[in-house]
Parts: sequence; C-alpha cells; structure tokens
Amino acid sequence: MDIQLKRGLLEVCVLAAIKSEDSYGYKIIKDMKPYIPLSESTLYTILKRLESANMLTVRTAEHDGRLRKYYHITGAGQKRIEDFKNQWNEILSIYQFVTKEDERNG
Amino acid sequence: MDKKEFLLQLKRKVSCLSKTDIDERLSFYSEMIEDRMEEGLAEDEAVAAVGSVEEIAAQILTDTPHPQATGAVASKKGLKAWQIVLLVLGSPLWLSLLLAAFSVVVALYISLWSIVFSLWAVFASFVACAFAGIVSGCGFALTGSGVVGFALLGAGILCAGLGVFLFFGCKAATWLNLFLTKKLLGWGRNCFRKKEAA
Repeated sequence: MDIQLKRGLLEVCVLAAIKSEDSYGYKIIKDMKPYIPLSESTLYTILKRLESANMLTVRTAEHDGRLRKYYHITGAGQKRIEDFKNQWNEILSIYQFVTKEDERNG
Repeated sequence: MDKKEFLLQLKRKVSCLSKTDIDERLSFYSEMIEDRMEEGLAEDEAVAAVGSVEEIAAQILTDTPHPQATGAVASKKGLKAWQIVLLVLGSPLWLSLLLAAFSVVVALYISLWSIVFSLWAVFASFVACAFAGIVSGCGFALTGSGVVGFALLGAGILCAGLGVFLFFGCKAATWLNLFLTKKLLGWGRNCFRKKEAA
C-alpha cells in the first residue's frame, strides 16, 4: 500500500483503538491485528506523532507493580476520526470512478 | 534472550540518540515485553515476539532524528551545486583576498621577530663593545696612554651595563613573541577544527 495512504490510515486506526476507552501499547496492537497488523516501532512513531498533534494524551499508571502508559483520545483526535469517515464517501466515489474506467476498457 | 539482555543490546545499538529518546524507547519495549509475559508467554518468547534487536534498532534510527543522521544529511547538503559553481567562479577574487590577508599576517609576524632579532643584535654589539673597550682600555692604560685608556675602559663598562640592561628587554620581547606564536597557532588550529566539525 502507498506509504502516505497507509500512514494516514494507521493514525486513524490507532485513534479508533483508543476511542471508546483509554488503552495501552500492547492492547492497541492486539486490537488492530485482525484488521491491520503493525509493529511496535511503527506504533511508537504513530503514538508520538499523534501526541505532538494533540490528538491524544499520555498518562502513566501503575499496573501489577509496574508502570504502564495509557493513551487517551482528545477532541482533536475524535475530529480526525470524523473527518476520515466523511472523506470515506469521497474515496468511495473515486474508487467507483477508477473501477468504472477499468470495466469500460476491459 | 531475556528482557534485560534485549534492552541492553537495544540501548547499545541506539546509543547515538539523546538520553530521553533512549529511555522512552526502552520503557516502551520493556512494557511491550511485560504485557506479553502477563498474557502467558515465557520471557524469551515475549522478547522474540517483539522482534530482532537489529531490525528494531534500524527502525528506531530511521524514525528518530539524531545528530549522526542529521550530520550526514547536513554534510551532503553542505555544498550544493550552485555553491560549488559560485566558489569556483569567485576564486580569482576570494583566493587573492585570502592570499593578501595571509601575507599581511605573515609580514606582521616576520616584522615582530625582526624587532626581537635587532634587539638581540644591539645586545650583541653592546657585549662586543664592552669586551673591546675593557680590553683595549686596559691595553692603553698599561702602555702609558692613561687618559685614552680610562676613557675606553669607561665606555666599555658603560656598554656592559647597557648590555645587561638590554638583556632583560630582549628576553621579555622573545617570550612575548613566543607567546603570540602559540596563540596564533592555537587560533589557526581552532579555525580548521571548527570547519571540520561543521
């Protein structure tokens, strides 16, 4: 998949993974795995990028006698998901246009 | 490989990053391994599931801006094609100006040493005069020309005195020049080092 496109999609996916409740690194990877697998390093980069874009906040909490980082979605993050949903119709119509051309040629 | 060893190796491989970056990355991977272990994986299985240290380190170094990477980019950027063209085209101007500036520095330096040299020459002549005056003065005095002898002896002693006096001046001037040479060399070396570093 195109790197730019995948990057944008992964960002939305990570935001979606923490949308309903705060989540932590390993759980995000597990939740996304059936849909779109991603490595720890990629997740780290995305989380950093989303954090600096104020789309999520990080808090450290104790869990089982050790520290774990939890990620919480912000308003800007919620908006990013909504924007993506709205853009989806646009993408779909582009897809339809592209495949229609294929059918005509084929 | 256990978690400790994994983190140690990873730390070594990304040591060029800032301490904050390294600490953050290590705690992130540590948490990932611990979460997998909590799920029931053995320590070495959890470490293996995270991936190989080499691949992770390579990925981290690609993702994180750090001095080595930016340095490499900067040195590549350092001389763009138009800058090289400008340097070559401007060489008749900047090269001659540079040579002129260099010659001025060298000339000043040589004249400083010539002052010192002439001071020592004066000192040498004082010593020679003192020696000649005293010897010839004694000679004249002993052969009967008392007045001339004493005058020469006096002149010789005067020269000796001036020579002793001048000796300290010469010494101080030489030290001052040596000090300046040292400073100048240090300054030149720093200039080159800064250029290399940039």
